[in-house]
Amino acid sequence: MAASTSDTAVLAKRGRNRRKPRVGRPWLITIEVLVPVILVATWWTASADSANPFFPPLSTIVERFQQLWLFAHFASDVLPSLGNLLAGFAIGGVVGIALGVVLGIGKVLSGLFAPVINFWRAIPPVALVPIFVALLGFGNEVRILTIALASVFPTLISTLDGLRALDPQLRDVCRMYGLTRRERLLNVYLPAASPRIASGLQVSLQTAFVVMIASEMLGSSYGIGALTLLAQQTFATSDMWAGIILLGVLGYVLNLLFNVIRDRVLQWYVRSQKIGKEM
Amino acid sequence: MKPLRIVYGLIGFVVVAALWQIIAISPISGGALPTATATFSEFGTLVPDGRFWVDTWRTIEVALGGFILAVVVGVVVGVLLASSQVTMHATRVLLEFLKPIPPIVILPLAVLVLGPTTNMGVFLVFYGCVLPIIMQTAAGVFDVDPIAVATAESFNMGRLEVLWRVVLPSSLSYIGTAIRVSVPTSLIIAVVAGLLGGGPGLGNSLLRAQLSGSLSLLFAYVVALGLLGLVFQGASELIERRMLHWHPSYRKEEH
Repeated sequence: MAASTSDTAVLAKRGRNRRKPRVGRPWLITIEVLVPVILVATWWTASADSANPFFPPLSTIVERFQQLWLFAHFASDVLPSLGNLLAGFAIGGVVGIALGVVLGIGKVLSGLFAPVINFWRAIPPVALVPIFVALLGFGNEVRILTIALASVFPTLISTLDGLRALDPQLRDVCRMYGLTRRERLLNVYLPAASPRIASGLQVSLQTAFVVMIASEMLGSSYGIGALTLLAQQTFATSDMWAGIILLGVLGYVLNLLFNVIRDRVLQWYVRSQKIGKEM
Repeated sequence: MKPLRIVYGLIGFVVVAALWQIIAISPISGGALPTATATFSEFGTLVPDGRFWVDTWRTIEVALGGFILAVVVGVVVGVLLASSQVTMHATRVLLEFLKPIPPIVILPLAVLVLGPTTNMGVFLVFYGCVLPIIMQTAAGVFDVDPIAVATAESFNMGRLEVLWRVVLPSSLSYIGTAIRVSVPTSLIIAVVAGLLGGGPGLGNSLLRAQLSGSLSLLFAYVVALGLLGLVFQGASELIERRMLHWHPSYRKEEH
């Protein structure tokens, strides 16, 4: 049975791709790897004797990158930034799921507070930074609090949506089996909503990353964002580039890690999606 | 049903505002937190102020300018990329790498090159919106039913006509999703550009309010940003619905 469905899938795929000019797979993979290499190499050679103050030679940037981040400022700036990010994201995620569940189950509560939450969500998360700085100062806890608060909402909203979008038959079946509230929630509702919750958490992580940088750029003296903005303001262009590259790589790696963990945790869902696509 | 929901929502707002007022007056906050009434009366003085509207308009200008540029460039580039497997694969690593990198990361570079200007903000918004639009457009074009294209070709349509009448309409639902996500994002980035990059607009007003130490003014600006955010969200949903009113997923809703 399984073999026959995958056979039809292959046939369907063949039919689909027939119109496209066929290029061998090894070729495509070569291109995929080669283009970024060429781009970096072009940057390297084109900037080699650049006198433009905005675009220093890539070799200088790499040198500064190594001097700054490996590992002179690693413990003093990189680790605190990442620590704040993870702490804020963890708090925001847990609170978001918890509030989402409370609002998703209580109809009265969600009727009362959904509009308020919608309004809150419409406020750009970065606007929270000056509020917290003005209220509570520049302390580290303040940054974690800001990151946490900003990352609550995407998770909250997607948890709420996930619980609302549940198949009504699922509720009926639960009732028929006489499951308790707790069993229903932990064993049925939350797992069923987990793909949506995961995509909310992913947006929360991205928000947390942005707010982390913003909280450092706004009047702080340490952290990757602070150093990068300071480098720009003092025209230390190579240092600024080094900071941008570090932040860019961090943003990419965090997202990648999240995807790997999510695919692990939601293996059942990823598989069922694949089967659905092949059919 | 609907009026009841509005009443509930209003009650929710009143409850939250009352809680806020109580916390602000109580000794827990130490008098630092402005009260809800102070914030809203401050907001009341902002509304007739001409400068407030100038700042609001500048924010909208930056957000919309970058967004429109991103849609035009994103759709064109997306269609071009999807035209062959080679271009899809050649650009994949670059796009996948840049996509999770938020515009705030390149903000220092943008400020350095362009200065604290409208153009800097527009550029950041453009960068923040264009990648998802490119990728969604390319995915949509790649996903077009080949039989529909073959049918169009057998009716002797030229390449451009096939693009305009078959390929683009059938990838519109992908593009619509990207647009719905990008419109609120564009406002957020416009505020970031003002707050951290010193560009014109409400972000900059926020920064000035913080530096001047007027907390109620700061809160009033945040309330204004929330309202503006709601407008942007509503507009993005409206655009998507207008664009896709013929699409099966929308037609179902109407019945």
